[in-house]
Amino acid sequence: MICEHCKQRNATVTVTQVQSGQKVEHHYCDVCASQFHPFHAEFKQEPISIQQLLSNWFGSPSWQQQKAGEKQQAQPQPQTCPQCGFTYKQFLKEGKFGCPSCYDTFSEHLPKLFNRIQAGPQHIGKMPGARSNVYVIKKQIEDIRKRMKVAVDEEQFEEAAKLRDEVKELEKHLQFEGGDVS
Amino acid sequence: MMIESFLERATPIWMSMEDDYSDIVISTRIRLARNLDGYRFPLAFTENEALQVEQAVTHAIKDSTELQENYSYFAIKDLTALQRQILVEKHLISPQLAKKELVGSMLLSDDESTSIMVNEEDHLRIQCMTASFQLQKAFEQADKIDRTLEKALPYAFRDTFGYLTSCPTNIGTGLRASVMMHLPALTLTGQMNQIINAMTRLGMTVRGIYGEGSENLGNVYQVSNQITLGKTEDDILADIQSVAEKIIQKERHARGKLMEKAELALEDRVYRSLGTLTYARILTSEEAATCLSNIRLGVDLQLIEGIKATTLNECVVSMQPGFLQHYAGDVLPPAERDRVRAEMLREALFQENMSKPIIGEKGEDSFDV
Ligand SMILES: [Zn+2]
Ligand SMILES: [Zn+2]
Repeated sequence: MICEHCKQRNATVTVTQVQSGQKVEHHYCDVCASQFHPFHAEFKQEPISIQQLLSNWFGSPSWQQQKAGEKQQAQPQPQTCPQCGFTYKQFLKEGKFGCPSCYDTFSEHLPKLFNRIQAGPQHIGKMPGARSNVYVIKKQIEDIRKRMKVAVDEEQFEEAAKLRDEVKELEKHLQFEGGDVS
Repeated sequence: MMIESFLERATPIWMSMEDDYSDIVISTRIRLARNLDGYRFPLAFTENEALQVEQAVTHAIKDSTELQENYSYFAIKDLTALQRQILVEKHLISPQLAKKELVGSMLLSDDESTSIMVNEEDHLRIQCMTASFQLQKAFEQADKIDRTLEKALPYAFRDTFGYLTSCPTNIGTGLRASVMMHLPALTLTGQMNQIINAMTRLGMTVRGIYGEGSENLGNVYQVSNQITLGKTEDDILADIQSVAEKIIQKERHARGKLMEKAELALEDRVYRSLGTLTYARILTSEEAATCLSNIRLGVDLQLIEGIKATTLNECVVSMQPGFLQHYAGDVLPPAERDRVRAEMLREALFQENMSKPIIGEKGEDSFDV
């Protein structure tokens, strides 16, 4: 079958849409398919729903793609959310999570997803008041540790010692704010 | 306040403000999605969990003098279908919340600029609106409420993923910023598709205001951010700000070009629309929206005088089915609505300080039926 968008390459991706109750199938080559923004295909039909997208892009979760005979992972990841009972498969089907704990349960799969549909896998925006202090301090500590390493590498031990004291000071603050020092 | 007082006015107080952008930008909306840790999301929770979320929110409101004094609380199940529809038409609640028979409720500020939806897709959705183009002001208002509520509610938040939401498209900041714009010249000159494509590539979406399906009713579009994770709130607002400014520039440029190249045709279009709205006896919502859009453009380009932008805003809101039925005081079948719509718009535009059109000599074609 030929891709219905470019009408040149072979269609390898099938997108199923539900339009006014009717199931409609679209066939695209992977070049065209990869150019469509996740949620808003650039053609006149309705945007592809997130569920369909997820099942297209993330089709079967990685643990199902393991070929027979391949070594099983030593530690199987928990696949069912303990709080709501959602499976990753169910998430792919619904396009939505069942509860906040799902994010912890499936955290391993999420960076890949967020790299595609978001600007990255890490939140850098505001946070609830009490936490913001903890977070800011943690960031500061991280930064100083990096500078400390550079100082040590460059054999500027006096500078490194000064930075180490700064870290200690910040860690005291962190404990005071109720954050765990790790 | 009683629900009736919110239903009475077609346009809320905050809408009647004008500034440098009010020829193009109608309103700005900020939405923050928040959830409570330890409870399943509305798509998966039990009625009991829903009640617990409700109770937690009610307590949080009681703890805050600001929210206690200036907001009214309504359970969706206590509202009639028509009342809900009007709230949707005023963009005070989402269609999704309006459908919640058992678990949904909302908190509405007296001036209607802020509404907090409880148990919609997420446990909480804080929504703030301003007239014209004021992203910062709307965000500050939402942020203030967020900071009030977070003191009393255990928000679901992780350092990595930020605010946790039911849908992964809202994760992180939970922030959706939307600017509602009237873009008749870009539509008329066929540039909208190109803009929509460009926006999509920038991680923005452009939609008709009444959601999918009714694409660009009345040439009104909503531009919003698609990305919520990996950027700060400030970044998101700055992106929307610059994109919206670009679109405003383009629309102004297109209007200028139209005036330069086709002023008469434009004027003709504007006055034909005015003619239709002041004389028609049957008006579909599509036709009414198109005419109102043309008249608005005529007002903005000073091709026409004596009609206020606020009157047109009011007409756009009140020509919707829910409002019409409220105006008529009765449930109306669709055909009846078209008649009442024509009547309502005739009245609104005649009231507007305009000399009543004089019916002149009959033209020579008059009997040529
Ligand atoms: Zn193709
Ligand atoms: Zn879960």
